[in-house]
Amino acid sequence: MADKNNPYRGLRAEQTFAQLQSQTRRHFLQTLGGGLGSMFLGSMVSFQPATAANVERDIDGEPRLDFRRDPRSPLSALPPQFAARAKRVIYLHMAGAPSQLELFEYKPELVKLDGQDCPQSLLAGKRFAFITGVPKLMGPQYPFHQTGESGHWISDRLPHLEKHLDELCFIKSMRTDQFNHAPAQLLVQTGNARLGYPSLGSWVVYGLGTENQNLPGFIVLISGGNIPDGGKQLWGTGFLPSVYQGVQCRSHGEPVLYLKSPKGVSVSERRNVLNAIDELNQQHYAEFGNPETVTRIAQYEMSFRMQMDATDAMDIHKEPEAVRARYGSKVGEGSFANNCLVARRLAERGVRFIQLYHWGWDSHGSNAGDSLNFGFVKRCAEVDQPIAALLSDLKERGMLDDTLIVWGGEFGRTSMRENRSGQVTKFTGRDHHPGAFTIWMAGGGVKPGMTHGQTDDLGYEIVKDPVEVRDLHATMLYLLGFDHRRLNYSFQGLDQKLTSVKPARVVAEVVA
Amino acid sequence: MIELVRGASGRSRFGLIALISILVLFALLLFAPPDGNERAQLWQFVGRFHPLSVHLPIALLIIVPLFEFAGRNRFSYLLPAVDFLLGLAVCAAIAAAYLGWSLGRSGAYSGPLITQHMWGGAFVACAAWACWFLREHPNPQVRRSYLFVLVASVALVSFTGYRGGQLSQGEAHLTEFMPEPLAGILGVGASGDPPANSPNGGPNTFYGARVQPVFSRQCVTCHGRSKHKSNLRLDSYEAALRGGKHGAVIKAGDPKTSELFHRITLPSSDDDFMPADKKRPVSAADVKLIEMWIASGASGTIAADAIKDVPTTSTPVVAEVTFKEIDLDAVAKERGSLAQQVAEIQKRFPNVLDYESRGSADLVVNAAWMGPKFGDAELAALAPVNERIVLADFSSTGITDKSANAIAAMKHVRTLRLMHTKISDSTLQAIRSLDQLETVSLFGTNITPTGLANLTQLHKLQRIYAGGQKVAATSPVPAELKDKLVF
Repeated sequence: MADKNNPYRGLRAEQTFAQLQSQTRRHFLQTLGGGLGSMFLGSMVSFQPATAANVERDIDGEPRLDFRRDPRSPLSALPPQFAARAKRVIYLHMAGAPSQLELFEYKPELVKLDGQDCPQSLLAGKRFAFITGVPKLMGPQYPFHQTGESGHWISDRLPHLEKHLDELCFIKSMRTDQFNHAPAQLLVQTGNARLGYPSLGSWVVYGLGTENQNLPGFIVLISGGNIPDGGKQLWGTGFLPSVYQGVQCRSHGEPVLYLKSPKGVSVSERRNVLNAIDELNQQHYAEFGNPETVTRIAQYEMSFRMQMDATDAMDIHKEPEAVRARYGSKVGEGSFANNCLVARRLAERGVRFIQLYHWGWDSHGSNAGDSLNFGFVKRCAEVDQPIAALLSDLKERGMLDDTLIVWGGEFGRTSMRENRSGQVTKFTGRDHHPGAFTIWMAGGGVKPGMTHGQTDDLGYEIVKDPVEVRDLHATMLYLLGFDHRRLNYSFQGLDQKLTSVKPARVVAEVVA
Repeated sequence: MIELVRGASGRSRFGLIALISILVLFALLLFAPPDGNERAQLWQFVGRFHPLSVHLPIALLIIVPLFEFAGRNRFSYLLPAVDFLLGLAVCAAIAAAYLGWSLGRSGAYSGPLITQHMWGGAFVACAAWACWFLREHPNPQVRRSYLFVLVASVALVSFTGYRGGQLSQGEAHLTEFMPEPLAGILGVGASGDPPANSPNGGPNTFYGARVQPVFSRQCVTCHGRSKHKSNLRLDSYEAALRGGKHGAVIKAGDPKTSELFHRITLPSSDDDFMPADKKRPVSAADVKLIEMWIASGASGTIAADAIKDVPTTSTPVVAEVTFKEIDLDAVAKERGSLAQQVAEIQKRFPNVLDYESRGSADLVVNAAWMGPKFGDAELAALAPVNERIVLADFSSTGITDKSANAIAAMKHVRTLRLMHTKISDSTLQAIRSLDQLETVSLFGTNITPTGLANLTQLHKLQRIYAGGQKVAATSPVPAELKDKLVF
């Protein structure tokens, strides 16, 4: 841009003047460091394609996959390591941990033992969040029936999802080592129960980038009236560059606050402001060579492009009435139904990782809202129809073939009725249970109509094919075209990876 | 003994020291043989020099007869060197044998291969010493046996070397890739242990039909013929019942106290869990099977169907996922001149065209995110790489029937998405030649059941997504397409 056309050229002069004043010894040293930074950046920009001869090797001597990109477009798409089965992920996280024993895990034995004291053998050495003393075993609170060609058992709480049962792939032997919500959610979403690790979505966008540069590659939508206990760290970027973090969008009103230009500011004025900021940033970059500056320029540019596209993608007004009815969506609500519909629209627009959280599944029975008899019923009704509609929509478009859907909570619930402080409450509920829980996946290269893993007759302990959270992550990355050990990032002397340091197994049984 | 050495002349002193070293070696081999246990890393470190040092005595013991033969007439000047070579061979053989013991003792080796190799090595040292001793013996009668011992040494060193090769390269390392006819003449080929002349574990017994297959699948890599960790072998009924260095691992009638059953039922995180090293655990059905077999008396002769209600090995064995290394040079070669064209198109339309994977020269196109900005003109720009495209997504783009021929030129496309575009039946007519097509999405387009009839000849086609507009589940479509249509 020619200088005289720039209404903000005054700013530039001011900056130059300020710079002249600040040439100090400290500044000299800073510039020296910046020089090193520039060299680093230079190596980022003009990198050579890897060949067998010049490829970098990791600590095990395996060739390192190259995830470097031009810093001006840090989200640009990269091909997967291997031909992928899934191109994008929609993760439906039921925050609070839904009871598997009221939805998919039918245990006739538990019906018979309902109301009896829990045997000591199940309690010895176990820690519970709330259960004390000897709780009573509790049978399923809702009737189950077997349906579909696959013969899955399902309760009467999910009548819409039931029609898709033959497309789902259940893992009934998930287990975790965390029995509180926040760390357990962190484990499921970041592979680590502690803060500071990149989320699943961040890893995926780091590895694959995203095709549509007008939308974030990783979008988070929240419903259920609360954000999950794990907080925003659940879609955080940890030690990965900050551009890969999830962007939380609001499901009603403006999707991203302050994205629209303020009243009275036209698009071209806005463009001019951005141009001036860009120019300042570029000068700053030329001087200091900090790659984060380039990232910042990229972010400004992206938010400008998002003004158009994000608003359009989130606008469910544009869907026909019939489609909205299918989801049970009402315009203007921050509901799970609206989020599912938005998720489909985002998937169509090439967003790589779409994360939906629905809060309120923590059915302890300490009050009506979190009881199996009331709150749970409401939660089921809130998600049942939208999930079924999402599956239908993706299926009829052919997008279920390469969209991986994952549904699940952060742990399971006990086979015993919760007896908080030793008292039997008015409402029924179950306590946290890390020992066994159920998730399902659909589409994206998983075997439809399949059940992997098995728990004992009480649904309490896994008796066959346990699947760790890291195994699930390894499997998801495999479907997306990666060997989980090779999607890594060097930090603090380790080739950090989503599956962390313990060995993880791709659950080959669920791969179609 | 020290007096004896001190009193001897130079040559005898050497001979005595060598002899003593050999005796000490024999004592070590007798009283501290390799027993399958792992020991201090320092010893393993030292032992690793065995393969390095072992070739020197081999070469020396082979060159001596050559010298002797060649020195008989023309090259007689070689003969005076032989005594020195033999002395050197003695030293080298002894050193290699000590290093070998160090490796075998500390590196968890045991089994007949290592035993034979070990004694072979020790006797090579003896034989070398005997050659050295006999060749210069003052008594011509005694000297005569030198030639005989030399021949024996060469035979011994060959045998020991072969066994060593088997240890490090695998038992069939010499015959593995032998051409078929030669192998036939020599009578080598696929051979395992000869069938044991034993009534136990026959093919119709429960053990042979049900239990041994589990062991063979999951245990014998470490507890088999060539490796028997902890001295345990599970490749035959007798061996399994014999147990390992901690005694029996199977207590007939009592699975709970049987070490084998205990180990496979531990939590997989336990240090003692078997199979070790994160190998695939024994499946629940197989655990049950082994439990029932041990409980019934761990017999080797009961019939295959003698135990009732045995779980069938229910879990179908699913191959573990493996990852192949990408050969970057091969990929670069395969992409060849294509790479240039791809790079140009990528520059023009970033994030639309890319390789299917890092190891592939096939291409995928995703123009869907561009929406109406991607139209017929843009699609035409893909022409130079058309034939390498295997997946093309033009959903919601501005393309029309004008692109029909350009799409039809993507001969290898397997997945084609045209949903929510302005294409109509005439595009379907053009793409009837795409015989690699597996999936096509036409959702929300103006196509009709008549247009779909163009796709009946595509034999690889599995799924057609054609809903959303004029085609519905009840539409009259050709019978061949009925079960391919998804709504």
